[in-house]
Amino acid sequence: MKVVIRQWNAVAAWRWDMPDDDVCGICRNPYDSTCSKCKFPGDECPLLLGECNHSFHMHCIFSWLRQESSQEKCPMCRQPFKSKAQDTSGPATQNEDIVQTS
Amino acid sequence: MLASKRLQKELLKMHAHLPPGIDIVSTDDLKEWLMDIRVLDPNPLYQNEVYRLKFSFSKSYPIEAPEVVFVQDTNRPIPWHPHIYSNGIICLDLLDRQGWSPVHNVESICVSLQSMLTGNTKKERPPGDDNFVKYNTQRPRDINFLFHDNSV
Repeated sequence: MKVVIRQWNAVAAWRWDMPDDDVCGICRNPYDSTCSKCKFPGDECPLLLGECNHSFHMHCIFSWLRQESSQEKCPMCRQPFKSKAQDTSGPATQNEDIVQTS
Repeated sequence: MLASKRLQKELLKMHAHLPPGIDIVSTDDLKEWLMDIRVLDPNPLYQNEVYRLKFSFSKSYPIEAPEVVFVQDTNRPIPWHPHIYSNGIICLDLLDRQGWSPVHNVESICVSLQSMLTGNTKKERPPGDDNFVKYNTQRPRDINFLFHDNSV
């Protein structure tokens, strides 16, 4: 039997490559959601991973680090917060997993 | 807006579960909460007493620390502690600008205060309590505490 596909619709979902139930320690929203100010998750409200391996929504950690009292330390471990150099396969990058095609 | 979203989340979680000895009294106004705490182990200083805490949140909570004080009521005394003034103002590093971290929350503050009381054996007020209570006009957040005692 020969099947000719005339049309197909792909449906894709993405999520950050992070543990399922984890939330940003600052806003307490899931990583896959946004900081308290943004509306759209993803590239518009990305995550930032520190060298200490603690991650936050970029907007959340920036608003903390802007405060003088933060002394630019990670809210979790109080080590100086430096963002970890990232390659495209590393954590905290957007992974596109195609979950369903039809 | 930042604060109210986070506070609503905390409230939801606390309604589902609270550690022993911690109770929500009122959160009608999301900017100001009242919480009750009890010391659970048999420390004679605090047995059979309940203490009321007032939390005031700024718009920038949790980037900014909340203001937390003990408040007196007919059956809610101010607990004895060398770091708690008789007007309810608390000298605790995590409530101060230098010690605060935005990963703290209402629950973790209550737990810290419980354990601050639990570990205390002195029925004392901070040095200079009389004068401080008489003359202090500053809000707790504006006071520069000197943290000289790392044992509590």
